[in-house]
Formats: sequence, structure tokens, C-alpha cells
Amino acid sequence: MRRLIILAVVFAIILAGCQQTEMEKKKVKVVTMSPRDMVEQLKLGEIDAFVAWEPFVSEAVVNGFGKIISTSHDIWPNHPCCVVAISDKSNRDVAVALVWAHVKATRFINSEENREKVLEYASEFTGKDREVIEEALERIRFVEYPDKEEFVKYYRELERGGYLTKKPRDLGYDSEDEFLKDLLYSEFYNYVLERLKENENWVPEKVNKKVRVGYLTADLHQLAFYVAMKEGYYEQVGLEVEAKEFANGVMEMEGFKNGEIDAGYLGGAPATLKRVNDDISISIIAGANNEGSAIVAKDAKSLEELAGKKVAIPGFGTVQDFLLRIAAEKAGLEIGT
Amino acid sequence: MRLKSAAFFIFLWYVVAFFTELPHPHEVAEKFFYLLFTPEPVLGKTLLEHAWASLLRVIFASSVAFSIAIPLAILTGWNRNVGEILMPAIEAIRPIPPLAWIPLAYIIFAPFPNTVQISQIFIVFVGSFFPCLISVFDYARNVPEEFLEMAKVFRANDLLILKEIVVPHSLQGIMTGIRIGLGVGWMSIIAAEMIATSGEGLGYFIMTMYQVGGRVAEIVAGMAMIGIVGYLMNSVLLRAERLVMPWR
Repeated sequence: MRRLIILAVVFAIILAGCQQTEMEKKKVKVVTMSPRDMVEQLKLGEIDAFVAWEPFVSEAVVNGFGKIISTSHDIWPNHPCCVVAISDKSNRDVAVALVWAHVKATRFINSEENREKVLEYASEFTGKDREVIEEALERIRFVEYPDKEEFVKYYRELERGGYLTKKPRDLGYDSEDEFLKDLLYSEFYNYVLERLKENENWVPEKVNKKVRVGYLTADLHQLAFYVAMKEGYYEQVGLEVEAKEFANGVMEMEGFKNGEIDAGYLGGAPATLKRVNDDISISIIAGANNEGSAIVAKDAKSLEELAGKKVAIPGFGTVQDFLLRIAAEKAGLEIGT
Repeated sequence: MRLKSAAFFIFLWYVVAFFTELPHPHEVAEKFFYLLFTPEPVLGKTLLEHAWASLLRVIFASSVAFSIAIPLAILTGWNRNVGEILMPAIEAIRPIPPLAWIPLAYIIFAPFPNTVQISQIFIVFVGSFFPCLISVFDYARNVPEEFLEMAKVFRANDLLILKEIVVPHSLQGIMTGIRIGLGVGWMSIIAAEMIATSGEGLGYFIMTMYQVGGRVAEIVAGMAMIGIVGYLMNSVLLRAERLVMPWR
């Protein structure tokens, strides 16, 4: 009898193993690695395509390692991407100071007269040369707060894709609306906006506090963070910033969970995902950018041609993973590993 | 007896689960059977597929390890001169855990295509090589002197002694070595998969489930699968042992 059971299990395993090869035709093979490695691996032909944030997309394109087959604009026009999150929103002064510095920096980046300086900062922040930066900046829209309607799509799609394991009720909210209102907490931004409208040169009172801020490795989306440091905006509001680098947004949420950071720049998808799944209490107090990612392929010319190809993403649950899933679904492909 | 042990274990599990984040046994069991044949949404693979991927790596890597370790062990155990040269070096390298080889493996195999896969196979190789070598070595060295003396009296040549006395006497060591080697290899592959992206495999599954968050039941289901596969491997080999050496 026991022999029979063992035989049945072995048989089932072999069967599952065989099925896998048959089904791989319509699937995209997804692997995870840091965007820095992606460029190198694409060049070596280890991977067939990747989805990454700028400037890595432009780096691969400018150096001729691959071509863009779909920008994130094509996949989801005007999609929110990186945001600024804070773990403790009861500390109003610090939150307002952070938002103010962020808004100032974003406006600095967006005003045409600062172009030279922005290019210089971007190059310093990411360590890439001018040509790559110029190309990369073309595809990023720096914003002050994400479009709420659009942002909710992260929540909806993550829920539909089976990523979310909890409901707002499990997190102690009475309704989804209440949860989303708390997640997308725009009160500080609205306050700063009002004040700046009244007086362009308004500066909040000095808070004289230390904040630990997380950001992602050479992510051009988060340029505002670097600009705010370099232009002395944090100093003006008395914030002593300690920067901490993370490999991707999911990792950064781990940093929030373990109390390593108080605030951070990260993607909207990981923020939403881990906010729900691990109940890591954060609120999004500002936006950083829209769009600014792309799918780069070595040989494939369309999304459909990615079938059976190896595609790299920075991590499961990141914005890039999210974009790839939408794109694959549009092209009639499935995600596999 | 076994039933009592299982009941006690499950009871203990419930007690611990009551006080901690650990999911309850029935939740894990439900998840386990569900994922056995239904692909999990994030990675798009079933538990069986992950287990199969890990198992293939282990079987491949340890086969290579055994085919080198067994002849080497018999040679070193039988021939004192070879033993004196090799054993001290082996004893020095053996305590280094397989996982400590990971960074070095990445550097060594960087020029090859598929660095991660090759490194993982190398790590399993290291893991299963030494236990097997030591086990076979012990038996090969402890062949009773009388047998060897007698063979020499009958003017048997070295090849004959090796074939008729040393190898048969080491058979128990070979079987034990394979069993232990596979066990260590199985532990090594899970750990190796957790560190780098491998696309599939139980270690990768568990780690990804942790990163995506909120999936404790999946994590424990993956752990259960690791345990079950390890147990099955062990019992299949014990059976094979009895088949190969019915006199024991």
C-alpha cells in the first residue's frame, strides 16, 4: 500500500514536470535582478528583455544593447509611479516639511531655466553620462501628487491578480474608501499647495529633526530627493536627512517594517502591496513621477514576440512587475517563471 | 505509535499557532493541497513544479558529486599513500559549509552562461560530495587486514583485491554516503535558491512569498513540501539499500 502511494506521488511529479515544457510556449519567463545587472545581462544575452526604471532603459538603448518595445506610457498612459511615503503621519510638522522640500525640488526640476543644473544633478545621482540622462528625462513626468483615480488602479489590479491577501476590513478599516483615503493621504500636500499659492516664497517653520529617508538605487524617478538635498531645501526646514538605499520598492517596505526608515521614495505598487499584505502602516504624502519605465528587448520587436523569452524585473510586486503583467495580458501572454 | 506522534505534533502546532503568527495546521494543509496542482498567482507555478525543479538540480549535482567522491574515497581508503596526501586537505576543506561557497561560485562561474544555475549546482555538489566521501572512505579503510593478507597469499593482484574485497566491503558506506549526500544536497539547494533568482524551486518560492508579503500559509506549505520530498528521498534510498544488500 505504501509503495503504491510513493509510486503515485513520483508519477504525479513526473507528470507535472512534463506538462511544464508543453505550456511554456505562450509564457513569458520572468526572472528578478537589480536594474544595474539587467543592462549587463541584456548585453551578454543572458536575458532577452527587461522592464526597468530610468536611466537603465536609456542606458541600454543609447549603448545599443536593446530597443524599447513598449514604454510604460504605451502600457498605461499617465500612470503614477514613484511616490513619497511616510510611516507616522501623526508627526505633522515633519510631514509638511518633507512635502514642502519635495514640492520645491519638483518645481525646480520642472522649470526650464534649471535644465543645465538638473542634468548635472541627474548625472551625479545616477552615475550615468549626459546622453543617457537626456534620453531618460524625456520619458519621465515629475509630479507633486499622483492622480488618485489612476493610483487606485494599483490596488484594483493587485487585488485582481491575486497579489493581495487581505481586505481593508482585516486591516481595521470599515470600508475600502476609508482605507484608500488613509493610504493616499493628501492633506499635507494640499496644505503646502495652499500656502505656496498665497506666497511663493513661503517656508514652513524649522522642525530641527532627523529623518531617515529610503530611496532606490540610481532611480531617476526619485531625482527630487537628490535635488532637495543639493539645493538645501531640507536644511531650510531644519530636516537632517539620513539617506538609505534599497534595491527595490518591496525591499524598501521591509525597511519601513523593520523601523529602518521614517520616510521614503518608492513605487506605488510595492507601497500598496506591502501596506495591505504585511500591514506596514504607511501613507502616501506626495507623488514623485508618472511614467518613466519601459520594456527593453534585445531581439523581440513586439510584446507578442516575448513569448517563451526570459524577461527581467526588479522584483515581484514592483511597478515594473505590474506593468509587465498588464502588457503581457494585452498581448495574450501569461507570466511564468 | 506514529499516529500518536503525529497527533502530538499537530496539537503542539495549534498551541504555538494560537500564540504566534504561525498559521494553523488546517490553513496550511488547505493551501498545500490547493497549490499542489493550482499555479500560485505570483510565480505562476504549482508546488509540484517547484519541487521538481529543485529535485532535478539536486539529482544532477549529486550524481556528479557521487561519481567523483566514491572512486576517490575507495582509492584513498584502500591505498594508505594516497590517503596520506589527500585526507588532511579534505579534512580541512570539509568543514566549510556549502553556503560559504556561494560568493566564490558566482565569481568563478561568472564567465559561463547561466551563472546562477551553475553556481547552485556547484553548491549542491559541494554539499553532497564530502559526506559521501567520508562515509565511503571509512568503510574502504576498515577492510579487515586478514582479508587483504589472505588475498595476497593467494597472489591476487591489486585490481582483483579492489574488485572482490574493497568495493564489496564499502558497499554499505556507498549506500549510506549517497543517502546522506542527497540529504545535505537537498538542504543546500533550498538555501542556494533563496539567495539568487532561479526562476523556480522551493527555496525561491518561499523567499518570493515572503517578499510579496502576507503569505505565511504559502511559506509553511513550501516548507512542508521540502520536508516531504526530503523524507521520501530518504525512505526510497533506505529501501534501495535493502534491495542492494539483502543480507543486512
